[in-house]
Amino acid sequence: MDPADKMIQSIKDQQITPTRRWYFRLREGGIWGVFAVSILLGALAFSTILYAVQQTDFDLVRHFSHSMLEMFLALLPFVWIIFLVVALGLAIVSIQHSWRGYKISPLRVVMINMLFSLLLGTAFFIGGGAGWMDAAFNRTGFDYSSIQQRKQMLWSRPDEGMLAGKVLRVKENSMEMEDFDGQMWQVSLDGAFIAPVVLLEPGEIVKLVGDQTGPVAFRAQEVRPWGGPGTSQPGRGPRGNRGE
Amino acid sequence: MILRGAKCAELTDVEIIRRALVEVDYFSCLYERYGPRLRLYIQRISQASDEEAEDLLQDAFIKIWKNLNAYQPDLKLSSWLYRIVHNHVISEWRQKRTHGSTYTLEWDDRIINVLAEDLEEDAGTNDRLLRLQEALLALPDKYREVITLKYFEQMNYEDISDVLKIPEGTVATRLNRARQMMAKFCNQSKTKITAYGPR
Repeated sequence: MDPADKMIQSIKDQQITPTRRWYFRLREGGIWGVFAVSILLGALAFSTILYAVQQTDFDLVRHFSHSMLEMFLALLPFVWIIFLVVALGLAIVSIQHSWRGYKISPLRVVMINMLFSLLLGTAFFIGGGAGWMDAAFNRTGFDYSSIQQRKQMLWSRPDEGMLAGKVLRVKENSMEMEDFDGQMWQVSLDGAFIAPVVLLEPGEIVKLVGDQTGPVAFRAQEVRPWGGPGTSQPGRGPRGNRGE
Repeated sequence: MILRGAKCAELTDVEIIRRALVEVDYFSCLYERYGPRLRLYIQRISQASDEEAEDLLQDAFIKIWKNLNAYQPDLKLSSWLYRIVHNHVISEWRQKRTHGSTYTLEWDDRIINVLAEDLEEDAGTNDRLLRLQEALLALPDKYREVITLKYFEQMNYEDISDVLKIPEGTVATRLNRARQMMAKFCNQSKTKITAYGPR
């Protein structure tokens, strides 16, 4: 039998029918959906990384024996780095399975994905989404230590000159403070730089750079707001040396 | 009703597909139009015998039939057919090739001259064809594929990219690398012949 006849006969005998068009459309849509998800995942990861950068206080690194990278890595939950890598992997695999996606090199797919993730992630970060999401993840009960938790751990090392907590009472050149473990501290503010945005009011959370002078005594060289470097607003109040 | 010759010739590829989806007999037009080229291609990449190549082609065409609705006309139909055939041969044949085959590639003067020129191989030497054949067979699969598509199937970079589903830049890189490897193999082969003298 002629090969073409044989093939047609085989199709007829086995009653083979072409797969429906909607299946291929759905598949193609699914592939682009995965690519969109990879961008979203990348955006969330990127916004969290931005949040970690914001919380790192790079300008304080000069006081410590640790490098900028060490401080940044200590704050960044690695789950987000993994998310970022997974997102990029998903993007490459999904695009290569699309009808014409193989025309785009993996490097270009990564660059396109990163660009969109960067833009979306930055918008999410500016909108305050990264901090909210970090806290939300922390509440899920999974083994996830949030950036805030990591930051608290980083700033609970008075022997290394890093202490943070809630202001309880403020006197002329000193204050009482409760750290995150509930320990009370007598803090000397004599000659300390106090960031302009710090109000030094009871209930305010601040972080201190200085030296531990006793079991529950600390001499502050710098007082900063808990949220960030805190040098952008004009100072108020007379205590210590207010930064400009 | 199996269609033949003139009836098929007057239809474009897209028309054949459209009609085949309504009446399966029209699908034989695709077999008639592309079957011989694809069978030769199967033999080139798999070294299968005539009979084995025909079986592989039949199976590949059944796959093409099943996926006919996936085809979009923004891609050359020949590239899409080559792709399915290529993937089918890779998955089905290469696992079995330990059985061995006596089939050798059919090199015509055009292929020899163009490839030899690109490899800067000496023209007119008696053992040139043998060196090229050995050099091609010594290549890893991914490099032999691009050489086969470029020189034997006479495809351009875009078509090769569509068949292998790789970016055109990767096609260019693989082709360059394949040519370098073949040229190196040919030179080593010549050195051996010079050292030991012709047999």
